Amino acid sequence: MVSDQLLRQLGDFIHHEARLCDESRYAEWEALWTDDGHYWVPRAEGLDPEKQVSHINDNRRRIHTRIKQLLTGTRHSQTPPSPMRRVISGIVVEAIDGDDYVVGSNFVLLELAIQSTRDVHVWGGRTTHRLRRSGSGWLMAAKKVVLVNADEPIPNISFLI
Amino acid sequence: MRIEHAVPIDYDVLIQADRVHSALYTDPVIFDQEMERIFHNGWVFVGHDSEIPVPGDYVTRQLGQQPVIMSRGKDGSVHVVRNRCAHRGNKVCARDSGNSKVFACPYHGWVYDLDGSLLDTPQANGYGASFDKSAHGMVPADQVEVYRGFVFASLNHSGMTLKEHLGRATELLDRCCDLSPAGELDLTAGWLKHRFKANWKMLPENDCDGYHVDFTHSSFMSATDSQAIDLIQGGGEPVVRDWGNGHIEIDFGVAYRKRGNPFEWFGRVPASKLPNYVKAMEARYGKEKANEMFCGGPPHAIIFPNLFLGELNVVFYYPVSANECVQLYTPMLLKGAPEVNQRAIHQTEGAVGPGSFLIPEDVIIAERNQAGLAAQQPEWMDLSRGLHREYQEDGLTVSHMSDETVNRAFYRRYKTAMQRDLQAVT
Repeated sequence: MVSDQLLRQLGDFIHHEARLCDESRYAEWEALWTDDGHYWVPRAEGLDPEKQVSHINDNRRRIHTRIKQLLTGTRHSQTPPSPMRRVISGIVVEAIDGDDYVVGSNFVLLELAIQSTRDVHVWGGRTTHRLRRSGSGWLMAAKKVVLVNADEPIPNISFLI
Repeated sequence: MRIEHAVPIDYDVLIQADRVHSALYTDPVIFDQEMERIFHNGWVFVGHDSEIPVPGDYVTRQLGQQPVIMSRGKDGSVHVVRNRCAHRGNKVCARDSGNSKVFACPYHGWVYDLDGSLLDTPQANGYGASFDKSAHGMVPADQVEVYRGFVFASLNHSGMTLKEHLGRATELLDRCCDLSPAGELDLTAGWLKHRFKANWKMLPENDCDGYHVDFTHSSFMSATDSQAIDLIQGGGEPVVRDWGNGHIEIDFGVAYRKRGNPFEWFGRVPASKLPNYVKAMEARYGKEKANEMFCGGPPHAIIFPNLFLGELNVVFYYPVSANECVQLYTPMLLKGAPEVNQRAIHQTEGAVGPGSFLIPEDVIIAERNQAGLAAQQPEWMDLSRGLHREYQEDGLTVSHMSDETVNRAFYRRYKTAMQRDLQAVT
């Protein structure tokens, strides 16, 4: 569907975005978003976000509030920030919509909850990015993360997933 | 069958007028007694009847440590039965929810009706004439009662009625339901589920704690212009209230009503954005009462032991062990108010749940509390705040929003439950 070169560019963006999340580089991550950005962590695939509650369902304004809260440095659930590292695989273009590329990938993430229990939490699931050309680069118009255990009792997700 | 302990625990020693012992949060023997005397022997919130509208609808829940199924029977009644096959103990129902005419055990195929009664055993000729089907059902809760849609169950065949347990706190449940033009809640948006490493009692203490907001949630205050800032920094107009029987409240409505701005509790949405809701509420209650309700808003209160009416959220929790708990949250959707419901879901997402702006701080604080208790000194948790200034109002004890009147009230009921002589039930 897309050239190797384009797939490589999309993959590079996704890996870069993941690194910003892993390293809690909040301001740099916020700069990746379009004005109409949507950051969504539902409880399961296929639920209507207007009828079913989600873990995270941020429009661009809420994304800004979320980053602002993290940047205060006093958000106790991320003070200090969780050391994290994720592995991403299976990057594939699922659809092309004008200037937007809908890209799917799988991930496994290790999160050290250093703020309290010091447990290492294992998170995993499928991410769907909507990436939009912007000049010579890319911006993120949407990020949806469906965790395998999103509908089970889970710990805090106050880091960037 | 319980193992008797050699030395009975004296709760008069552990729970005093102005302090409680930290063993209440860490000791596994006390935890077992809490299960026996509170969760397995008294009224506990299980779910809401709007979750099971059609006969055959069911959800699986925890009633203390015991897995149960809440279902809608063919005759429309609500059943709560233990999720355990009477044959060899299999957990019959594996799904969170669904619809089924019967419950069938996957092990040997025994089939049960929604009320738990045994319908059929395969190859029944393997059981003799003395096999009594009626003695081999999925055992139901001893009592199930519904108050305005809220389903409570008790694994105790006697003791107080639900109405006696709720006492005056029915007003709190009424305040929620009456915000609907149909007088009913519609808890159908699903539950966010949160797991954390703290004792279950850390939660009601936090939920009705007005003292912590400036500190625990300082990052939220800095990042937003939440209505909460005005309330907390603007002087102590909200109060805490002891409703009796362990039911407790932070009454923000006192402050909201005084300021007289409708929907301050609802992100300050202008009434013009909820035209049909306003019209329907005025038709039901009249303009003046409706406006009072728009100003006062829903309650922020605990129904002992495990239900939290968190303003536009219905929240409940179940204990896993002395140092682990699960809390579940759903938006408090109102029947007949689609304009409200659309916004309510997004307000829930901002306020509660693992990914929200508020609750993760409360959870981290609870986990750090639990971790701190491992340092065994000082032994006592101080609950003296406001003892010198609480007062009576309308027959209930009330105090400044930051006072621990509510913690003391919770523990009074807790102590009564823990000291109850279970052998004496008639």
